[in-house]
Amino acid sequence: MQTCTHCDEIAVQALYSEIDLEKTQPFCCQGCLTVFHVLHQKGLDSYYEIKKNAAVYKRRSPVELTSSQFNYLEDVDFLAEYSYVNLNQEWTMEFYLEGIHCLACLWLIEKIPEFVEGVKTSKLDLERSVVTVTLKNNGKFSRVAQELTHLGYRPHPLKKNQDAANFRIKEERSALIRIGVAGAAAGNIMIYAVSLYGGATPEFAQLFNLLTVLFAIPVLTYSAFPFYQTAWNAIKNRTLSIDIPISIALIIGAFMGIHNLIVGVPENYFDSLTALVFLLLLSRYFLQKIQEKGLSASDLHFFYQSESVLVSVDDARDSFKEIHPRFIKVNDSLKIRPGEFIPADGIVLRGCSNLNNSLLTGESYPIKVEAGDHVFNGTQNIDHELIIKAEKVHHDTRLGGILKNIENGWAHRSKIVDLASKVSKYFTAAVFVLATILFFYLNAIGSTEHALEQAITLLIVTCPCALALAIPLTFTRALSKASEHGIIIKSDEVIEKLAKVENIFLDKTGTITFGKLQVTDLKELKGTAINLADIIFNLEKNSHHPVAKALMEHFKSQRPRAYEVLNHKEIFGKGVSGMIDGHYYEINKVGVFENDQLVATFSVQDIVRPDSISALASLRSQGLTVKVLSGDNAAVVEAMAKLIGMKSDHALFELSPEQKSQMIESTPHTMMVGDGANDAIALSYADVGVAVFGAMDISLRAADVYLTTPGLVPVEKLVTLSKETMKVIRRNLVLSLIYNSLSVTAAFLGLIDPLVAAIIMPVSSLTVLFSTLIGTKKLRHLWKS
Amino acid sequence: MEVITILLPLALLLGGFFILAFVWSAKKGQYDDLETPRFRMLLDDQKITKKSPTSIKDGK
Repeated sequence: MQTCTHCDEIAVQALYSEIDLEKTQPFCCQGCLTVFHVLHQKGLDSYYEIKKNAAVYKRRSPVELTSSQFNYLEDVDFLAEYSYVNLNQEWTMEFYLEGIHCLACLWLIEKIPEFVEGVKTSKLDLERSVVTVTLKNNGKFSRVAQELTHLGYRPHPLKKNQDAANFRIKEERSALIRIGVAGAAAGNIMIYAVSLYGGATPEFAQLFNLLTVLFAIPVLTYSAFPFYQTAWNAIKNRTLSIDIPISIALIIGAFMGIHNLIVGVPENYFDSLTALVFLLLLSRYFLQKIQEKGLSASDLHFFYQSESVLVSVDDARDSFKEIHPRFIKVNDSLKIRPGEFIPADGIVLRGCSNLNNSLLTGESYPIKVEAGDHVFNGTQNIDHELIIKAEKVHHDTRLGGILKNIENGWAHRSKIVDLASKVSKYFTAAVFVLATILFFYLNAIGSTEHALEQAITLLIVTCPCALALAIPLTFTRALSKASEHGIIIKSDEVIEKLAKVENIFLDKTGTITFGKLQVTDLKELKGTAINLADIIFNLEKNSHHPVAKALMEHFKSQRPRAYEVLNHKEIFGKGVSGMIDGHYYEINKVGVFENDQLVATFSVQDIVRPDSISALASLRSQGLTVKVLSGDNAAVVEAMAKLIGMKSDHALFELSPEQKSQMIESTPHTMMVGDGANDAIALSYADVGVAVFGAMDISLRAADVYLTTPGLVPVEKLVTLSKETMKVIRRNLVLSLIYNSLSVTAAFLGLIDPLVAAIIMPVSSLTVLFSTLIGTKKLRHLWKS
Repeated sequence: MEVITILLPLALLLGGFFILAFVWSAKKGQYDDLETPRFRMLLDDQKITKKSPTSIKDGK
């Protein structure tokens, strides 16, 4: 099978360029071929050379040609919102690019300043597929966007809260510096600490002690500042945090060390404490990094709908101009081309077409609309051009209402107190009680000074370092392993909630089923003059109708040949017809006709994914209750319930988005899995919302987890992963409590000194690290698969 | 042990230098994007050579 030179998709009817005389470079479609020509004309042929040797970073689909001129990028209103002046005083805009796929894309995008006039720099962030373009004085963003389109990418301007973004970058940089300073200081302190433990002579002992104190000061003040901050906030708000016992240990340790330096005793805990600060900061940094990665992956889809839209300038003369959907006003006449999403609620003025409502309502079959019908934001126009009048825009649309409801859902949710904080409450109390007992005990049998010193030592060495280290590490590992399996989890809290889930609610369309029509039953009744595949392919190839697409997909593997079609007609709501090779063909609801004789029948259906049944069975076997919440009609839902072996009272149908969310609200410990806007409210009300592959931007916003691979198998993996991860966390908790009990015992026996602490701390940290790395048997199995 | 009077300041200076270098590079934003640079270094830094391309009719 030939694959397209440009996009690597299978080329069914390969096209070749006129300059490629030996036909060595096949293309799958006109779009890809056009891009090839553009690259050749610009002297950028090396693109294909680089691409040949580069690993594919992300898959992409064939290039779709668009006629967008991106004029709206020059609107003053638009520029004010979407462009900004960067730190070097350059005019900047960011675009998310659809179609970024490998190293060669990086090369091509970053060459832009060489062949597009007025561009100063163009930097691509491969991971996020975001290009940052800065302009010279004569540059234009619309020109850049046009060029990007010619190169086969789809640019979506990104709106950026520049202050927030700058703030985040600065925060991240200073987090790194804190870690660097802590690491360097801890390393240096260790050198002098070893000399002290090794028995340095008194004149050096005092000098080395001074040096450790000097190195420790920046760590315990600057680097450890975030711990003090969280601890202080927790105390102020009367909440719990594991940072409280950590801060106590750090502060007491610092005072003790400085006191000992002044009185000339070369003894302090700075080697253990600074290493602790370094490791803790590092583990938290990793956790934060991986969460940000998950967040940005879902953030990026929010503007997917924000393609430009044609708005009428002069109704009488039928002239339109391009604007960004953000700037649609009530009473604007909008032209909606086939394949486009409707950007506002409104009424059809002219034209008739089929609409795909599945994302908004969950209905799997297209709905026919004509002049006078109402249409809604978020539905997709399938086959004909429509002119609509916008009646409600932005927040006032039905979709906007759902968005508002999602925000309510978020506010409604209970905040959970994480396990570490819960434990730290008892922990801190216990340590203080023990320290007091130790003080009075030693005071009774010895000197007050010795008693105080031992009590303070106890407070320092019982710092819950292993615990504080283990939890972020375990979550980081869980989140990164999940993302390897195509499961993006927005925060570590989600894992704790997931482990408690008892009831799973599933959407039907797109979750249990494929979410698109497929040919299920095809019968050839009679032989035809040309192959059935050729008839269907040639008649349906330009149609956007879901049935046509299903038929095309069905016959793709038979590699149909191209024929000339005369008198080709698409009759709205009926079917297609045309003359091929002297025969008259028609395809409609009943079947395929040759010269008015029925030659084949077919039926199309949104079929259940084959892996859904086993995934559902496995979820049930884990003791979870699984129910289906669908907006589709009774017949479809009941047929599906039968097929997947679900009790009919567990499959609920014809539910509105509000009813779905009510169902979820009245059930404890819930997980909702869905894709459409009709699930979005339910997603936000559930304890854990999971948006499946192909979900709409609005449900991505509502969800805590986003699946990048289709089907229910990832859901099953997600449940296992979170339950097992919590097991590892609990095990780490026990391990670190054992180490702490050991150090308390040692302190009571008077055996503890900086050297013992310096041994116990790394050993305990290594134990939990090891425990995290080996995971559990089930986790190991999951990691390998 | 007198050698320590030279070695100690030297060690401190070296350590200090590297810390400052790290702080400088972090503040310059060299660690902002940890993903793309490893790909970018693979690409040659050559200018586009505008060889007269074979003429083609517009593919549309």
